[in-house]
Amino acid sequence: MADEITPDELLDKIDYGTPSGDWMDTTKSVQIRPGMYCYAAKAESVETLGLPNARPWNPVEDDWKLPDDWQQILHEGIKERLERFRTFKIFMDVCVRCGACADKCHFFLGTGDPKNMPVLRSELLRSVYRNDFTTAGKILQKIPGGQRLGGNRPLTLDALKEMWYYFFQCTECRRCSVFCPYGIDTAEITIMARELFNLIGLNIDWIATPVSNCYQTGNHLGIQPHAFKDMLEFFVEDIEDITGVDCTPNFQKKGADILFITPSGDVFADPGTYTCQGYLILFQYLKEKYGLDVTWSTYASEGGNFGFFTSHETMKRLNAKMYAEAKRLGVKWILGGECGHMWRVIHQYMDTMNGPADFLEVPVNPITGTRFDNAASTKMVHITEFTADLIKHGKLELDKSRNANRIMTFHDSCNPARGMGLLDEPRYVINNVCDNFYEMPPNTIRENTFCCGSGAGLNAGENMELRMAGALPRATALKFVHEKFGVNTLGTICAIDRAALSTLCEYWVPDVEVAGIHELVGNALILPGEKERTEDLRMEPLPGCEEEE
Amino acid sequence: MTLKQTIEDNHTILLKKWFQATIDTYPAQSAKILGKDVDRFDNPVGAVTRESLEDILHLLASDYTSDALEKALDPVIRIRAVQAFSAADAVSFILALKNIGETVMDSSFFREFDRMVDQVLLAGFNRLMKCREDIFLLKATESKRRIHAAFERAGLVKELKEEDLLGSKKS
Repeated sequence: MADEITPDELLDKIDYGTPSGDWMDTTKSVQIRPGMYCYAAKAESVETLGLPNARPWNPVEDDWKLPDDWQQILHEGIKERLERFRTFKIFMDVCVRCGACADKCHFFLGTGDPKNMPVLRSELLRSVYRNDFTTAGKILQKIPGGQRLGGNRPLTLDALKEMWYYFFQCTECRRCSVFCPYGIDTAEITIMARELFNLIGLNIDWIATPVSNCYQTGNHLGIQPHAFKDMLEFFVEDIEDITGVDCTPNFQKKGADILFITPSGDVFADPGTYTCQGYLILFQYLKEKYGLDVTWSTYASEGGNFGFFTSHETMKRLNAKMYAEAKRLGVKWILGGECGHMWRVIHQYMDTMNGPADFLEVPVNPITGTRFDNAASTKMVHITEFTADLIKHGKLELDKSRNANRIMTFHDSCNPARGMGLLDEPRYVINNVCDNFYEMPPNTIRENTFCCGSGAGLNAGENMELRMAGALPRATALKFVHEKFGVNTLGTICAIDRAALSTLCEYWVPDVEVAGIHELVGNALILPGEKERTEDLRMEPLPGCEEEE
Repeated sequence: MTLKQTIEDNHTILLKKWFQATIDTYPAQSAKILGKDVDRFDNPVGAVTRESLEDILHLLASDYTSDALEKALDPVIRIRAVQAFSAADAVSFILALKNIGETVMDSSFFREFDRMVDQVLLAGFNRLMKCREDIFLLKATESKRRIHAAFERAGLVKELKEEDLLGSKKS
C-alpha cells in the first residue's frame, strides 16, 4: 500500500534523545497563569445547588480551602465512578499512549502546551488511577523507582491543582476521540474529572452561576419570565417594522402542537437575537400557511445545560424541566433551537436520565408527514432538521436574493456534528437560503471540525488568552476561505458559537461576521402579507436597497 | 555584494535556522510537533510562523518600511501574544536572527545586519502591544456588547452613551 511507512521512515521517527526531565516532576511548579483560567465559583451559586464546600476561594492563592479529607473524598469519588461508568474504567485502562490524539486538540495546537495533548491531559488523572487503583501500580510504588516505571503518582495537592488547570482547558469537543484507534472519548474523562472537582467545591464561576441561575430562574442568565417575554415582544416589534407582519408568539399555550425550546443566548445575546427573530418568522409562516401551533415557555426558557459541565446529577436536574413543561402543556413533541452542547445532552443522555417520555409522541412533521425516527425516544427534534425537511418538501417560499450580500461558510459545532451527526441539514438549509457558500478545508469541518475554543463553560472573559489560542485552528481555516473566496459570514448552529466566534473573528479575522442559520432563513422567508422588505433582520439595507438609505 | 543580496542568497538557510530557533522557544515535546511541515490546518502555529518569517526575510532583502515589517510580523506575533510567553519571550525569537546571520554571512555585514534586526524587533514590540491591547479590549467589552447591547436595544436598560457624557460635560 502506498501509505505504508517504510522501515527507514519508521526509524527516522525514533527519537534517541533522553528527555530533559520527568513530566510528572513539573507538578512542583504548576503555574496557574492569568488569561488561561476561569474565576472560581461563587459560594452562593454552589450553595443554591446544594453542592459541597461552598466558600470563596481563588485558584491563584496557595490555599484552595479544601475539606481536610479531600483526598479521601476524591479517592472514593473515583472508585464510585469506576464502578458506575464502564467507559471511565475502560478509558483509564486502555490507552497505549500512541499519540494519535496529540496534535488533534485545538488547545494543544493553539497554546503549544504539551499538557494540552489529550493523551497527556488524561494522563494527569490516569497516573493517579494507576497509583491508587491498579494492582501493578500498588506493587510498583513499593519499589524504588517503581512509580516512575509505572507512570504512577500519588494524588498530591500539586497534582490536583495541575489537573484542575488542564481539565478546564478542555472543551469536551471530542475531536481527539475521532482519531483514537481505541475509541477513547477524552471528553468523558474531562467530564469525570470535573465531576470529581465538584465533590470538593472546585467548579468555575462561568459554569456554576449559570447552573444556579438556570435552576432557580429557568435560564443561564437568570432572566426572569417577564423579561424573557419582553425581549421576545421587542423582537416582534422589530420584525413588524421590517416585514409589516405581526409574529407574536404563544407563551405556555396548553394543547399547542409543539413546544419550542432554545438556548437563552438566542433571546439575550447578539448575534443570537437575530437567529431568534428568524425562529419567530418561521413559526408565524407555518401558523399562517399550515396552521401549526408552536408555543414558547418562560419556564423551560433554557435549552442549554451547563449542568453537563458540572455532574450527571446536575445535568439531569436542569434537563428535567423540558419534559416537565412538555407534559404540563400537553404538546405532541419538542422542537429545539440552534444550540451545541444542548444537543449532546438531548441525543446522548436525556432519554436515559429523564425518559422515557411516553406522554409525548414520536415527532412527526405535521406539514410534510416526515417521521423523525432519530428522535423516537427523546421526542426532541433539531430545528435545522425540521427546516431542512420543510424545504425539501417545498413547503417554504424563500427569496435567496435577500441574503445575496452574505458569502457564507459553515462552522460545524462540535456537539451537533460529533455528538449527533447533524452534518448535512444545516448545509442544505444554507444552500436554499443563500447562493454563496464555500466550505472550509475538509480537515477542519464535519466530523473533523475544530472547536470554537470556548465550549464546555469556558466562554468567560477572564480566560481570553486561552480562548483565542484555542480558536487558532478554526480561525486559520476561516481566514483561508475569507482570503480565497471573500467569505464574509460564518454560519453556525450553536449559541455559544455565535458569541464565541464573534470574538474569535474580531481578533483573528476581523472582516467576518457570525450568523445563525435561522437568521438567514428569517431574511429569505416570504411571509404571507408582508410588505416589500428593504432591511434585513439586523436592520441593515438588503442587497439592492442600499441607495434608498 | 550588498547585505540585501546576501540575505536574498541565503534565504533558504536563514529561514530554516530561524524557523527552528523560533519553534524551539516552545517546550521540547511541543516543538517536535509544531516544527513539522504538514498541512497548514493541521499545524497552524508551524505554518503561520514559517510564512511570517519568510515574509520578513523577503522584506529585509528589499526596501521595506516599519509598517511593512509590522504587517509581516502580525500573524506570528498575534499567536505568541496569547500563548504562555512573557512579553520578552514573545518577541525574543527575532533576536535569534542575529546569531543565525553571523553563521552565514561575512563579518563585514554584522553591524548593519544587527541594526536591521533591531528594526524588526521594534516592529515586533509594536505589534505585540497592539495584540495585547486587542485582547484587553475584548476582555473589557465582550459581554457588554453581546448581552448589554441586546437589552439596550429592547429598552430594558438605559445607560448614558459616551457622547451623552461628553455633552453633559460641555453644558
